[in-house]
Amino acid sequence: MHCLEVNDLVHRYRNGDVVLDGVTLRIPAGSIYGFLGPNGAGKTTTLRLILGLIALQHGAISIFGLQLAAHRIDILRRVGSLIESPSLYDHLTATENLALLQAVHRVDEAKIGDVLDLVGLAGTHRKKVGEFSLGMKQRLAIAVALLHEPELLILDEPTNGLDPNGIVEMRALLTRLNRERGLTIVISSHLLAEIERLATHVGIIHRGRVLFEGTLDELQRRRRTHVALATNDDERAIALLARQSIAATIADGRIVMPAMPNTAIAQVNRRLVDAGLDVHELHTAGDDLEAIFMNLVSN
Amino acid sequence: MTLDFPMVLRCEWLKRRRSFAGWLVLGGALFTPAIIIAVRLVQHAKLPALYANPAFWPSLWRSAWESMAMLLLPIAAILATSLVAQIEFRNNAWKQVRTLPLHPATIYAAKLAVILVLIGQLLALFSVGIWLAAAVPWLFVAGVPWPSDMLSPSFVFAQNARYFVDCLPIVAAQYAIALHSRNYLVPLGAGFVAWIGALGLLQWKYAFVFPYTYTMLDYLGGEPAGKVTVPAIGTAPYALGYAALFAVAGYVLFATKRQKG
Ligand SMILES: Nc1ncnc2c1ncn2[C@@H]1O[C@H](COP(=O)(O)OP(=O)(O)OP(=O)(O)O)[C@@H](O)[C@H]1O
Ligand SMILES: [Mg+2]
Repeated sequence: MHCLEVNDLVHRYRNGDVVLDGVTLRIPAGSIYGFLGPNGAGKTTTLRLILGLIALQHGAISIFGLQLAAHRIDILRRVGSLIESPSLYDHLTATENLALLQAVHRVDEAKIGDVLDLVGLAGTHRKKVGEFSLGMKQRLAIAVALLHEPELLILDEPTNGLDPNGIVEMRALLTRLNRERGLTIVISSHLLAEIERLATHVGIIHRGRVLFEGTLDELQRRRRTHVALATNDDERAIALLARQSIAATIADGRIVMPAMPNTAIAQVNRRLVDAGLDVHELHTAGDDLEAIFMNLVSN
Repeated sequence: MTLDFPMVLRCEWLKRRRSFAGWLVLGGALFTPAIIIAVRLVQHAKLPALYANPAFWPSLWRSAWESMAMLLLPIAAILATSLVAQIEFRNNAWKQVRTLPLHPATIYAAKLAVILVLIGQLLALFSVGIWLAAAVPWLFVAGVPWPSDMLSPSFVFAQNARYFVDCLPIVAAQYAIALHSRNYLVPLGAGFVAWIGALGLLQWKYAFVFPYTYTMLDYLGGEPAGKVTVPAIGTAPYALGYAALFAVAGYVLFATKRQKG
């Protein structure tokens, strides 16, 4: 079942630029969905539409099988979110910030301590949020999003401002929440490396269009592999390979050949050595995910 | 929505903790009484005669209310409204508030209620301040009698209720503007311009059509000379009518705002 379905969103801001151009997303229940795209791709705009923060101009959004337009309040009861910068009251402490929402969500007061523990902010006591570091604010914002035990968590670049340690902790926290509570998490980022270690599913958006959507494995399968070769005389090597109808080219100071089975690689090696060439390097290489991402985005 | 309201009101009330709101109420209410006390302590020789006057309380009440009705109450309404809206803008918190599982009307009404409670606090504390303005000089200056014929609680309450209603259109109009503008200078600027406009219009026969004039008209209308024209039905129906109109218009703007956070 899909926890969140977005169909054919088109959005233009007042200045007339179309920033979303037919965005369709399927976010499976129980997944960690990495929503990837470079700056200005339309991630925040999409997430704002999903939360009803900007009016829907075209398309449809359904969450938990309910239409957003008709059931916004019921849906929001079950959603936690963090969009762009944290929304916190600087003149109040962490506990006071949470107490505001505890009243509205009508959850037990003990939950405040629980979520503060969860994000590692239990020791801030009387310190006002205005005196927090950016990373601390970001953590508190996550605590705010988790206070009412949502089923869907929408996080827009939540690792903004976190140190490497904080990023690792956040990742561990999100993975745990997903495993233990079955929480569906949508997390946007412009860094594939960040999503790769966390997400089960990925959607890639660029200039308002979705370029890829699927599991992380499916994305991995898009890796294009090739065989790299370096010899003491690359031109002669290419000529030799051409005679066996292997299309080889030179890139980055090496010979690059299409992917081939290991037996074929061994044969290439034998031929080259028999012809008196020194083989310095011969191995299979592949694009990493970053390259796939860059490829998708640059085409 | 009705069930959520008390909880949301509590939430909104908590937000104003440690903000400028407390100082606004305290300063607005005690500014004039403090000046009266200071002046009377300096001129302490005149006090025995003053305190023996049977009209002591009505004249104290009137002189204290002059600055309140003409200046402090309208300005406090403008400032309190901007403050409540700015708490969300300054902290980038609208997107948080607007994604709570609440009807926009609940949010709108709760914030408005907080402003009205602040105004109520200001008026109540001001009445206490007026009492202090009588009591403090009496305590410190020897030979001054306690003034007789204290104002009745029902008079004090009725006066406060009247001025409260008079400033409702200012609150409602300012609230509509303040919720709509990220920049706090917009509601403050509009408020000051309207306040100055109201002052300028006071002598005009139809000054009462301008919704920022009612606290002033009500005060000046009490002068025996009658320098201003107060409509026969009083200011309250006009004030309530404008307040309702602005509150509804403000709500429509709030609920249909394009970018909600
Ligand atoms: N309020 C606005 N008014 C006009 N244009 C806007 C507004 N907000 C965003 N845009 C434009 O919409 C496009 C998408 O912006 P959006 O914030 O959705 O991108 P993003 O993917 O979240 O980028 P980032 O990674 O930088 O956060 C951008 O071209 C941006 O200039
Ligand atoms: Mg963004």
